[in-house]
This record gives sequence, C-alpha cells and structure tokens, in this order.
Amino acid sequence: MTARVATLAPTTTRAKMRSPSRAALRRLAANRMAIVGGLIVLFFVFLALFGEALAPQDALLQDLNRVSEPPSAQNWFGTDELGRDFFSRIMAGARTALLVAGLVTLISATLGTLIGLVSAYARGWVDAVCMRIADVLLAFPPFLLAAFLNATLRSPVERRLTSLASVTGIAALGSKEVIDFIVVFGGLAVVGWSGYARLIRSQVLSLREREFVEAARSIGAPARTILFRHILPNSFAPIIIAVSVNFGNAILSESALSYLGVGVQPPTPSWGQMINANLDQWRYYPHLVLVPGGVLTLLILGFNFFGDGVADALNPRQSKR
Amino acid sequence: MLGLAIRRLLTFVPLLIGVAFVTFILSFYGPGDPVRLIMGENWASEEVYQNLRKQYGLDRPLPVQFADYLWKALHGDFGRSYIQRVRVGEMIGNALPVSIQLVLVATALITIVGIGLGIVSALWHYRWPDVLIGLFGVITHSVPAFVLAPIVLVTLVLKLRIMQTPTGWHGAFSYQTLIAALVLGAYPLLAIIRQTRTSVAEILSQDYVRTARAKGLTERSILIRHVLRNALAPTLTSLGLTAGYMLGGSIFVESAFAIPGLGQLFFSALKNNDYPVLTAATIVSATWIMLLNLLVDLTYGVLDPRVRQ
Repeated sequence: MTARVATLAPTTTRAKMRSPSRAALRRLAANRMAIVGGLIVLFFVFLALFGEALAPQDALLQDLNRVSEPPSAQNWFGTDELGRDFFSRIMAGARTALLVAGLVTLISATLGTLIGLVSAYARGWVDAVCMRIADVLLAFPPFLLAAFLNATLRSPVERRLTSLASVTGIAALGSKEVIDFIVVFGGLAVVGWSGYARLIRSQVLSLREREFVEAARSIGAPARTILFRHILPNSFAPIIIAVSVNFGNAILSESALSYLGVGVQPPTPSWGQMINANLDQWRYYPHLVLVPGGVLTLLILGFNFFGDGVADALNPRQSKR
Repeated sequence: MLGLAIRRLLTFVPLLIGVAFVTFILSFYGPGDPVRLIMGENWASEEVYQNLRKQYGLDRPLPVQFADYLWKALHGDFGRSYIQRVRVGEMIGNALPVSIQLVLVATALITIVGIGLGIVSALWHYRWPDVLIGLFGVITHSVPAFVLAPIVLVTLVLKLRIMQTPTGWHGAFSYQTLIAALVLGAYPLLAIIRQTRTSVAEILSQDYVRTARAKGLTERSILIRHVLRNALAPTLTSLGLTAGYMLGGSIFVESAFAIPGLGQLFFSALKNNDYPVLTAATIVSATWIMLLNLLVDLTYGVLDPRVRQ
C-alpha cells in the first residue's frame, strides 16, 4: 500500500510522504521504555540462539559429588540438586522460554485470526458455533485449563505418537521432547486462540460494512479475495498490538505450566521448573529460586515494555501512556 | 432490568453445561480407562475389571454418564478422590471458602490501591507521578506470583526476620493472608490502574466538568460527585472479572504460602493425577468466573440504564 501511494504522488517531498507504518516506527523509536524493553528482549534472543555455545558447562551434565554448592568462581550461580552448573542451566532456559512462547503465540494468533475471519464473514450458524466454543473456553481460568489439558492429554498424545513413531519408523516422533512440546503448545494454543478470534471478529464485522469492501463486492470479487486482500491487511494493526501485548503472557504461561509440573519436563531446562524444583529449599538455597525468578521477570518485563510501546505507536489516539 | 436478568440467565445455563461437558470429556476419556488407572498394578482379572466398570457405571453410554455426573455435581457430589478415597465434594467444601476469602481480600486491596493510583495518574496525566505509577504497575504485572511469593518470603522471613514461615489458614484478617493477597493481586493491579486512569482522564475533559468548574465547585467535589460516579463503572467491570480469574491464580500463591485452599488442592491433585479432584476443581473455578461475570453484567444494568435494552 505504501509503494502505491508513493508512485501516485511522485512530486511530493520525502518529508510529506510519511506512511502510517513509518510514523508508527518513529513513535516506537522515540519511546524510551519501549527501547529498553526491546534491548532486554534482544539480549534474551541472543542467549536463546548462542547460550548453549557460550555456556561454561553442559546444562545437562550432572556431578553428584558437587551437589547444591553455593556460588563460586567455577559455578557463578552455584550448582543445583543434581550438581549441574546453575548458570549454564539459566542460559539454556532462555531457549525453552522463547521457543515455547514464540510458537504458542504464532499458533494461537494464526488459529484465532482464521477462526475470527471466517466466523465474522460467514455469520449465521458458523459464527454462532465458533463464538459459543470461545465463550466456553474463556469461562475457564486460563492457567487451570492449560494445566488440566496437559494433565489429561499427555498420555493419549504419548500413546498416539509412539504408535505413529513405530509405524513410520521415525523415532524422533516418539521422543520425550516432541511429546512435551506438542502437549504444551497444544494446551496453550487451545487456551489462547479465543481472545484473538473475538478481536478479529469484531474488527471484521465493522470493516465488512465499509465502502471499499462494498465496492469490491459490487465488482464481483470472490469472498476469498475480499477476506484476504481487503479485510485482513486492514486488521493487521490490532493483531500486531494483541501479539506484542500477549507475548509476555506467553512467557508467563510456559513458566507457569513448568512451575505446576505439567509443562516441558525435566531435564530440559525451564525456569519455571527450576523454581518448582527448588521452592521447598528456599530457606537454605534462596538463590536457586531467586535467580530463575529474576531472569524470568526481567524477560517478561522487557516484553511488556516493548509491547506497550508497540500498542502506543500503532494506536496514537488511545495512548495508554 | 428483569428482561436483562432473564436473558443473561438463559446464556448462563448452557455455558455452564458446556464447561462441565468439556471438562468431563477430557478427564474421563483423556487419561484412559479410569478403572485401569485405579486398579493400576493390582490387576486381578478380566472379570474383576468388568465388575468394577459396572460398579462405577462406566459401561453406560456417554451421554447417560455425563447427565449422571452433572446431576450429582449439582448436588455437591463429585465422586471420590483416587488418592485419598475421600468425597471430592467434601474436599472442595473445605478448600473453596478459604480461597474465596483470599480472593476477596485481594480484590479489596486492588480496589483501594488500583483506583487510588489510577485517580492520581489521571490527575497528574503525563507528569512524573503518572509515569512512576505506570512503571510500578508494569513491574508488578511482570513479576509472576510464583516468583514474587519466594521473594517476599526470603525478605520477610530470612532477611528482616519479622515473620515465621507461613503455613495454614489464619482467617481473612491475619497478616499472613494480607501478604498472600498482596502477592495474588500484584498481577491484575495494572489493569485496574489503567482502567481507572483512562476513564477518569476522559471524563475530566468532558464539557459538564468544565461547567462544574465554571460554576465554582471545588476540585474535590467535582472529582467525587461528577467524575468518580461516572468513571468507576468500567473499573467495576474489570474488578469483577479480576476477582473471577484470581481464583485460578490462587494456585500459585497457595502453593507457596501453604494455604489449604482450592489452588493447593488442584496443585496436589495435578501431582498425583487425581482426576476426579482436578475435574471438580476446574468446574468449580469456571463456575465462579461465570457467576462473577453474571453479577458484573447485572450490576452494570443497574448502574447504566442503556445496557438494559
């Protein structure tokens, strides 16, 4: 859309050609909290990508002669109850946190957007069925439902996948990591899509009455073209806002499930699971709880600062700041 | 008003059945055959297995089983715990009042703190008190309850030594409950501050506030009589929804402070795969959320006549 405006008005000077997205980027760059948040997030993305290579030790390596040692020059954050280097485990936890949160957000935003689009455009019984399902899902406390799904669906998913692995001969399908991630993603996505679907539905319902959609319909454009060429691009701003505001919550969800013991299973390093494993030791080894908790909080804080900045930048009139 | 009440109740009942159905299906067919789960290692014979299925009524068709479960649940009978062999209804009956009191204390706290800070934010819009309060809100929103709880414990018990390690329930008006409620309310506080701030700031810029100023009313009476009365209806909605979702959040607080409430019950049932308890706790907390939504809608109808139509 930007390019088309520019070609239509070639004589205007650069200063006047402020596209909405460029103006939004400028507002984002001028927001100091958003920049701080973005830097925190970038730092953790770096850790997720290169943490394993940079870590002083293997995050899974146990040394039962050196269990629960205090912080020292060799182990900066000490060792955990199995003698693993806690600093290396914290670094490795960044990958789990960002991977789960990123994929969960991607799955639930895509699913919610599609369901919301179809629901609002088709109306009638399709809409009624989709929205009643969303109503039921939104009536549950989100963490409880996600934990409940994880607890009940783990064993059937495990059974299906192991049988699938033996049929296809792909052993990776039956591995613990794959089952973990499918159950955790599935549970969180089931909980997460309904909010996006409602948002998109209300957006589409207002857009479909607008003149440009009516014009497209009058020249005989098929429903698919209208939905994906006209309505969806105009709904991007609210989707981006919802995604950036919800990303912190996705990180929180992953660690909350791990804290409850139903998320990604050990020994895969997860901060929530580290807090869970060491919580009953908080009087003796407070750092084993406070360090993963602090890192987790910092990352969520980074996303929340950045997400608020994105929301403000894309939505200048309803600024929260 | 009666029309609104009837319409809301007509959506409430199917929603409740939907919630119960989803939970029922997941817990009785997700983990596999419950009789096998109960028998576990003590597998006797096919005959014993079939008898047990009959005894638990698992040989009946699914809709019959669900109707039976729902009917009994309405009378407070959720079956027996796999682990403790106690009536689940009794366990919930003991735990739920504790959690609801905790949630209500937390709601009272964030009502006072959230609305207060929201008003201050709106009055000093975009100036330093507003910025500081915004920062404070985002920080409390970003610390997960299961991180804040150990931080509070380490600070109060180990560093300041002004508190024993908390265990058990000491009533709604004890300082242990107050601290647990503060931890529980930290996450939703931001929503209350922002809601209050936005609506107070919006109403402060209305014409009738200018009129009130022009006729010489004091700022104090403008704020109380003209602004807050109109600004607090949306905040009330947020508070109702928050009180609903906090029952789910209690799982993190109760496990850290060893409070014997619904969250603690859910937490231990999760560890032991005690599905009857998980199912009952999930249905009960979803019902609490739906009840509060209902209450919020009806209150809104009383406050704002336009909603009644």
